[in-house]
Amino acid sequence: MSWRAELLASWAVVVRNALMGVRNVFFFFELLFWPVVGVLSIGLMTRFLGLTPEQGAFVLVGTIALSVINVCQLEVAYAMLLDVWSKSVKHQFMAPIGIRHLTVGAWLVGMLRGFVIFVLLAALGAWAFDFRVLAPGVGAVAMFLIGCFLTSWIVGVAVCALITLFGNRAEAFAWASVNLVLVLAGIYYPISVLPGPVAAAARAIPLTYFLDAYRAHFGFPSEFASPLTAGFTLSAVYAILAHWAFRAAVERARRTGLLLKMSE
Amino acid sequence: MRACYHRSMASPVPKPSLAIDAHDVTKTFRSGWPRRRETAALRGATLTVERGTIFGLLGPNGAGKTTLLSILATLLVPDGGRVRVLGLDVVREAAALRRRINMASGRPSFLWSLRVEEIIAFYARLYGLYGQRLRRRIDTLIEQYELTDYRRAQYNELSTGIKQRVALAKALVNDPELLFLDEPTLGLDPDVSVRVRAHIGALRREQGMTIVLTTHYMREADELCDDIGFIKAGRILARGTPDALKRQIGLGDVVALKLDPPRLPWLAEAPGVLRASEHDGWLELTVDEAEKRVPELLRALAAEGVVVRNVQVREPELEDVFVELAR
Repeated sequence: MSWRAELLASWAVVVRNALMGVRNVFFFFELLFWPVVGVLSIGLMTRFLGLTPEQGAFVLVGTIALSVINVCQLEVAYAMLLDVWSKSVKHQFMAPIGIRHLTVGAWLVGMLRGFVIFVLLAALGAWAFDFRVLAPGVGAVAMFLIGCFLTSWIVGVAVCALITLFGNRAEAFAWASVNLVLVLAGIYYPISVLPGPVAAAARAIPLTYFLDAYRAHFGFPSEFASPLTAGFTLSAVYAILAHWAFRAAVERARRTGLLLKMSE
Repeated sequence: MRACYHRSMASPVPKPSLAIDAHDVTKTFRSGWPRRRETAALRGATLTVERGTIFGLLGPNGAGKTTLLSILATLLVPDGGRVRVLGLDVVREAAALRRRINMASGRPSFLWSLRVEEIIAFYARLYGLYGQRLRRRIDTLIEQYELTDYRRAQYNELSTGIKQRVALAKALVNDPELLFLDEPTLGLDPDVSVRVRAHIGALRREQGMTIVLTTHYMREADELCDDIGFIKAGRILARGTPDALKRQIGLGDVVALKLDPPRLPWLAEAPGVLRASEHDGWLELTVDEAEKRVPELLRALAAEGVVVRNVQVREPELEDVFVELAR
């Protein structure tokens, strides 16, 4: 496949997902309502509890990460879900499209939506709670966002694999799986408060390290020696595994006939 | 199962004139847990289709039509056998094959809130079209399938007939060498069906496209197909042109007579008469060869002093072949 064909296939998915997104009645809820409600309610809770500005920043970083990852991973899952819902799976997989085009195209839209949410919540945090996301510098923010987007891609692709493996029954994973990751990664607390085995599981999640690295700029000493290196290394491993799992699930669906069952 | 498929790959290279060359294709579906149920959908189906022809795959429900079509279209991996489409192996060379084939099916389904032109554009981009070529292709297909008025309509707002036309337009975005049509006129109004059939005929006539279609409408198969394969219980039972199939099955011709007096039991025993029945005052005799038997029958009736008020002769229809084979 030429590089032009590669780009076009991914671009086709970008256009498709973007068009479906803007015509979705829940689009503005996903993009505005829930994230704003999340930051406002958590921010007000930090005031009520009388947290220090550093502690407040710690919690708000988690809230923003939650919103960004939620929206971005859901968009990646839409790469498969949209066709499952519309029963057009077979048309997609009969065309010369690879799963890389599907996931990368959907991820690009997810990153755009995630970035819009990040900017919006950063502005809201600064205005309402004097929380400055850019205080650690553009580089630190960029690393944090890249970490969030990588986590979203991994979770989203894993959800696509589960849907392709189990059909519509696995739809709930699209909404549930990310929350498990977020709980383990320490969205509102350092992972040192988690019980031993759970903390060990948290250390296997890349987001844990990206949150740790970003929070270190807000006065919380890092719990790890090189969090960014650990985060990117783990992300690379999981990205390869997730891609392989999705690919294997599609091949299995071609053998079992599930690809047809999910179609018209 | 895959090992079985690859072991049989050493078969001779198919003729280049063949669009489809499938031998001993098997496919079994497994479902249920913990107790597994097995359903053998294909039990050694063998099929060849010449390039530039319209091939009809007929058979009762559950015969394996869609399974076979899906294997040929790379949507399903066979358990065993050898399948080459346009000279390419459907498993090992599936990616290259997908660029050259396409499919449309009855009761099509696409993303509900995309507009007609956006659906066509999405699939066209997957086949590498962009810029001016993309726009020209969309315009051509929209015009060809009379979708101009629906160009900006969302898919979920369209009627069944329009959706079917969108599916056909989508199936032609890559100008495929081989087109699979799964029940292309299912649920369409008669006038729309006629137009769709005209389009299908034109594709073969004007572009030399090979078309494989499944249908439950025998008239459609009779009208469109150069060649027909009848599949039952996962095997191709019979194949040939519609006329050849009628002869092959040995259904004979039907001679309908209106006689006075109407009942003549000895006619059922006359030479060449295979079956006899009565319908609405007509005596219907199925004979081995109408051209030879009608003069003999008329002579015999005249000799008996029977008045022949009306005679009609008709060849068996494809529907009769279907009923006979499906038994």
